This record gives sequence, structure tokens and C-alpha cells, in this order.
Amino acid sequence: MPNLKRILEIIWVVLVILTIFAYLLGYLKYVNASLVAVLLVTTFIKGQLIIDYFMGLKDVKLKYRLIPTLWLGVVISLIAVAYYLPVTS
Amino acid sequence: MSKSIALKEPHPPGDFAIWVIIYVEFITFALLFLGYAFSRRLDVELFNASQLAVNQTSGFINTFILITSSYFVVKAVQSIRNMTQESQKESNIQASKWLLLAILCGIAFLGIKITEFSHIFGMGIHLSTNKYFMFYIMLTVFHFLHVLLGSGILFIIYKKTKIYGYLPNDSKGIETGASYWHMVDLLWIVLFPLVYIIR
Repeated sequence: MPNLKRILEIIWVVLVILTIFAYLLGYLKYVNASLVAVLLVTTFIKGQLIIDYFMGLKDVKLKYRLIPTLWLGVVISLIAVAYYLPVTS
Repeated sequence: MSKSIALKEPHPPGDFAIWVIIYVEFITFALLFLGYAFSRRLDVELFNASQLAVNQTSGFINTFILITSSYFVVKAVQSIRNMTQESQKESNIQASKWLLLAILCGIAFLGIKITEFSHIFGMGIHLSTNKYFMFYIMLTVFHFLHVLLGSGILFIIYKKTKIYGYLPNDSKGIETGASYWHMVDLLWIVLFPLVYIIR
């Protein structure tokens, strides 16, 4: 039970660290093609942590957890496609 | 010890109607996110140049604020869920404190966003300036309205906790509002890197 209580604090810290990471990439102008992939993966991780621990879907039947997870995965994957797919003129 | 295999809840937290709304919001925002991403492909230079006008720092602060407010909301929900017959008053007081912090975060988010909007609109930028700003304004104003509504919902729940209105085994109302607030947070988690950082 005490561990369960601490999980929320750990999740918050991880979310803040990943947000600082994203901000520093942008602020220090380090954003390049390979780091965009890292940024999108960290965005997925942040979203999944919110879905599982803040929305509380980790303890709910899989189908209800899968809906936002699939949404997040599809949206981020298509953003990656839009970013990396070469433009043919 | 025998409880190591936890049983899964049959339904998501809160009223199921809020989840229908959340799924509709997911679809709406997905279309806007992908509209932005695929429009950017066609004019990367314009999007990169226009993005310089938006303040990444205020976007970062707002992300931090929303994540923190979501944490406060989870703590409020926990206070109500863990309530016993004897701790009804204390649990409502505890939840009201967490909710007040979350509402203050919501107000801070809105304040920072209004400052950002007044800067952007003060530069003479509007919906038809270019495609980047069309998506920027549509996405961020639409999300702003969701934060406004979410803050209102949290305030209604807060008022109920102030009159010790939640009873043991009666957490559905607060879970419903909380689910909406976490959705607002989740949408911003995608919006922030997409519109403010990726170039």
C-alpha cells in the first residue's frame, strides 16, 4: 500500500523530467530528425503514464485501456510518418 | 498475499457517458493534430519560421502546470475513494484541498495562455495569417476552452466537497470530472511537442 501511494509521486517526477527533456531540446535548438523520433517516443510514454496511472485505466479491463493507448499510438505514428516521409513533388 | 492477482474493474472510472465524450474528443483532436502534421510536410520552412513567434517557455510551464494539476486531481479522487464512514468529513476536506490546488493550476494555465494569445494577436497574427497560425490558433484556443470547462467542472466538485457531499462508496461524480481533466492533460501532452517543439 505505501508503495502504491509512492507510485503517483514517481509518475509525476517522470512526467516532469520528460517534459524538461522535450523543452530543452526545443530551447537549445537540438531538434533534428533523429531526436524527433526520441521526442515522439517520450511523448508516447508520457501519454501512456497518464492513461494508466492518472486516468486509472491500468486496473480496468484491457479493452478500455486499449482505446486511448491505440489512439495515442496511431496519432504519434502518423505524426512520425508526416515528419519522416519524403515529400514527392 | 492471495490478493497478488488483482481483479480488473469492468468499467473505466466515472460515468460511462464521460468516456463517450472523451472518445469523441480524441477523434476531433486527432484530426487537428494530423491536419497540422501533414500540412507541415507541404511547407516545412513556413511552419519552422512561424513557430519562432510562439513562446516555448510558456508552453513548457503550461505542460508542467497541467501534469501537476492532474496529480492533484488523482490525490483528490484517492481521498474520496479511501473514505470510511468515520472519515467522511476529513476525506471531503482533504479532497477539497487537492481540488483547490488543481483549480489554481487550471487558472494559472488559462492566465499564461491569455498572455500568450494577447502577444500573438498583438503582433497582428490571426487565423488567416498562414497555415501554421491557423492550426496553432485552432488547436490552442480549442484546448483553452476545454481547460476552461474542466476548471468549471473541478469547481463544481470542489463545492460539493466543501459541504462534505461525498459519501463512502460514492466516488463516481469526482471520477467523472477527473477523467475529463486527465483527458485535457493528455491532449496537451501531444499538442506541446507537436506545435511548440518539433521543427
